[in-house]
Amino acid sequence: MPGWPEDRKFIGSHAKRVDAPVKVSGAAKYASDVQPEGWLYGMILRSKWAKAKITRINLDKAAKIPGIKAAILLREGERTVRYYGEELAAVAGTTKQACLDALRVIEVEAKPLPFVVREEDAREESSPRVWDDHPNLSEPHVNEKGEVDKAFAECATVVEGFYTTPVQLHHPLEPHGNTISCTDEGITAWASTQGISSVQDSLSSNLNVPQSKVRVLTEYMGGGFGAKFGAGVEGALAARLSQSAKAPVKIMLTRFDEALAVGNRPSSFQKIKLGAAADGKLLAFELESYGTAGLGSAGSSEGGGGGAGFPAPYIYRVPNIRVKQSGVTINAGSARAFRAPGHPTASFGMESIMDDLAAKMNMDPVELRLKNDPSEVRRKEYQLGAERFGWKEKFRKPGSAPGPVKTGVGCAGATWGGGGHGTQAEAQIGPDGSVEIRCGTQDLGTGTRTVIALIAADLLGLKPEQIVVRIGDTRFPPSGGSGGSTTCASVSPAIYDVCTKALEELQKQSGVPDARGANWMPACKKLGVNPLLVSGRWQTGLSSSGAGGVQFAEVEVDIETGFVKARKITCVQDGGLIVSKLTCESQINGGILMGLGYALYEERIMDRSTGVVLNPNFETYKLVALADIPEIDILLLDMPERGVIGIGEPVTIPTAAAVANAVANALGTRVTSLPITPAKVLSALSKAGGPVVL
Amino acid sequence: MNAFQYTTAASPAGARELVGDDGLYLGGGIDVLGRVKEYLDEPKILVNIKLLPGLDKIEPGTAAWLIGANVTVSQIEEHPGLKSAFPALQQAAAEVGSKQIRNVATVGGNLAQHSRCWYYRHRDVHCLKKGGDTCYARNGENKYHSLFTGNPCISPVVSNLAVALAALDATVIVQRGDNSLRMSLAEFYAKAWDNPTAHHSLEHGDLISKIEVPVRPWRSAYIQVSEKSMFDWALVSCAASAKVENGVIRQARVVLGAISNVPHQVQAANDFLEGKSLDEASAAKAADLIIEKAQVHSQNGYKVPLARALIKRALLQLG
Repeated sequence: MPGWPEDRKFIGSHAKRVDAPVKVSGAAKYASDVQPEGWLYGMILRSKWAKAKITRINLDKAAKIPGIKAAILLREGERTVRYYGEELAAVAGTTKQACLDALRVIEVEAKPLPFVVREEDAREESSPRVWDDHPNLSEPHVNEKGEVDKAFAECATVVEGFYTTPVQLHHPLEPHGNTISCTDEGITAWASTQGISSVQDSLSSNLNVPQSKVRVLTEYMGGGFGAKFGAGVEGALAARLSQSAKAPVKIMLTRFDEALAVGNRPSSFQKIKLGAAADGKLLAFELESYGTAGLGSAGSSEGGGGGAGFPAPYIYRVPNIRVKQSGVTINAGSARAFRAPGHPTASFGMESIMDDLAAKMNMDPVELRLKNDPSEVRRKEYQLGAERFGWKEKFRKPGSAPGPVKTGVGCAGATWGGGGHGTQAEAQIGPDGSVEIRCGTQDLGTGTRTVIALIAADLLGLKPEQIVVRIGDTRFPPSGGSGGSTTCASVSPAIYDVCTKALEELQKQSGVPDARGANWMPACKKLGVNPLLVSGRWQTGLSSSGAGGVQFAEVEVDIETGFVKARKITCVQDGGLIVSKLTCESQINGGILMGLGYALYEERIMDRSTGVVLNPNFETYKLVALADIPEIDILLLDMPERGVIGIGEPVTIPTAAAVANAVANALGTRVTSLPITPAKVLSALSKAGGPVVL
Repeated sequence: MNAFQYTTAASPAGARELVGDDGLYLGGGIDVLGRVKEYLDEPKILVNIKLLPGLDKIEPGTAAWLIGANVTVSQIEEHPGLKSAFPALQQAAAEVGSKQIRNVATVGGNLAQHSRCWYYRHRDVHCLKKGGDTCYARNGENKYHSLFTGNPCISPVVSNLAVALAALDATVIVQRGDNSLRMSLAEFYAKAWDNPTAHHSLEHGDLISKIEVPVRPWRSAYIQVSEKSMFDWALVSCAASAKVENGVIRQARVVLGAISNVPHQVQAANDFLEGKSLDEASAAKAADLIIEKAQVHSQNGYKVPLARALIKRALLQLG
């Protein structure tokens, strides 16, 4: 039975990111940095209509623009486009300007059709249908157990609320895109992707080229969050343009494009009723919800694939529940998996009504959770976190903080599965003592390269900088996609395995009984001329799944201006054996900031009358910036016996709910809709009778 | 963007000649380049005016200060004397964009910038402000829009500096052909009040040369509230100035931004404040007068209480 070494020097340490120097110096090459000989810019023409029948597209003028080497249609013949931004055609040229000019002269004949872009409109039977053959509002996914009506009648306290969350955009700082070279020898793609193997698969099938002739490279990438798996329409177009122009073509989407066509987190409109016994024990729960995943909305997926459903009543076990969830199709880009799909949405609704219940019962919100949270890990985390955060000292009756700038506190919990999957890796040990680890995974920026180096260093008795880590190449042993917080738990056991085997083999061949540390060089020298090459694979027993976490938030709300400032977030997170503490904490910081964006700033805004996304930029699609960042305090539960567990997703889940609860605690009334903007705070206060300055 | 020619002007007259009928002046370029990239403007030529002599200085004076049109927003933010002479202007400058933007953006460009309305700025929406026939914001997404307008367009003026300069009774000196015009801030934006396609009162080819800020024994303050802590547009901004002696207000000016297509100033409120004691009650009454004719749209009603809060705070800061 394999086991992580007891003596861990680098595993679990704050060792630096091994690729930090090349990243900060600009030496690291991303998909957009690659410039193969003769490469061309590629750009995509997108629909200007939210829905239209496209009868003809004429590329002749575009093809004649000086510098343009290829102009292609996405597909031949008449077609219907169903959202603003849907891809129509693409061009490749020697300069950006040539491409821009070419896009402007493409003639598109279109018959605009009625469209609908807002959930509340789309669900009306009288609204235009996105798809002719089925209504916009899906049949609800129903989950019912126990005797809900009877249970509500027996509850000591019942609360009801309507909570809404917006469509959130992924907006990775590195946009979607690829540089692709198609020649007679095959395809090479430098992709910004979470799955080099899935890009290989999609390019192979799209272009009918055997996988053996498709190589995908992702040496470095700048974020994904679930929206960067296959090659995408932009990848397929880049490949076809490359074939047509007989030159490498680079299509990197613009920030504008990112807002339209490459995924988002579905919205939600949640009508919730929750009832508890006099002691606070939850007895009955009812949810009726709808939300949109855009063009292809599905109500019943529990959010896993990017559908509009979500787990309810989330982390709580209520004996009597009735859940009805629908998806609403609208004329907008489709959702894709987005960091903990479904969970932040579920958490916001459920944890909001939990606090509403606590307020009505005059109960401490932490007490209510300790009474109802079925997870022993989270209950422990609530206790540790409350102590660390100073909950008892900070918590006041809702709305009772003094002054026009009121402080408030809130908390929320989260769960995530994660787990590892079959990754393979190889280690090559040179007679000169050099070590190269190769693994066909990819590093989204989370620190995979560092994780590999730290494990190898500990197992081989070397320093992380002595390990050369090569990843992001389909010619390396396969690992699989980086999604679902599975990368660390997938890769780590394979690295453990390959390093353990390599050490054994080195010791066997060299006759050195313990080749680690000081004995490393002498042992390697005995290998002779050829390097040692060893393969390894993922093993059970070194990783596990299921990560519970809780967060506490402290905010200040100016009740005269509605401005909310997050002051502090305390995060207590279970992550099993922490491999790289620095990058783990960095993931937590990032998850919290993304959750804070969901709480206070982020929202895709669609225009009813034109069907466009009104905020396709960082000016009006507002992301958390440095000045908005609160103090972040992280406590990692140290449970090495559980093995490696990914934490990238769970840490973003409870932030928005905790912040929303803190705002409600400050105000004494709830803003039931994310993001919590000054407009909504002032509106909630005016409905509650105006600002009260104590 | 479309291809364009680029040249540098050596004199105001030369700049006017070079810009012709279909060129644009290029100062800091923060607004102009954004518009050109989005095809909102399609100039044949961009005329660099950054090297025009004498326009990049802040010149303190005893009767008035002169601020060249090419002075950057950072220069205003960081000028040691300006901060004590005109705190409102310094505070307004410090809230413009990000530090990187302030290092490049100029005073002239900040005043002459176009609407930030997301319909106007959208490359595929042809709204009233662009010469179309509909203000989509009126019945659409209007949380950032105006409470006051003299025409069907409800996109607000968003220049921070304009709000502060209006409260300081500043004058914009504009070169129009051979003439040098002196415009109050109200005059500088008056055309935007009536004309939906106007952003200010400048005519094509007009060149802002300097801003004159009179020196008076006044106190001033500027505050804004945005959705984010920094690097965000004001939802509402407010500048106030007055002479305050023994807690009594004289010659008050209260100006609001982001709620009208001009810097919003109500003379009746300024008049009301004359001789009043500087306290919450006078501020509240002034706010009533400033806001009373507000036309609220579906999503911008919150700007009314927000404006009231800022009027109160800006005035009380003068004490």
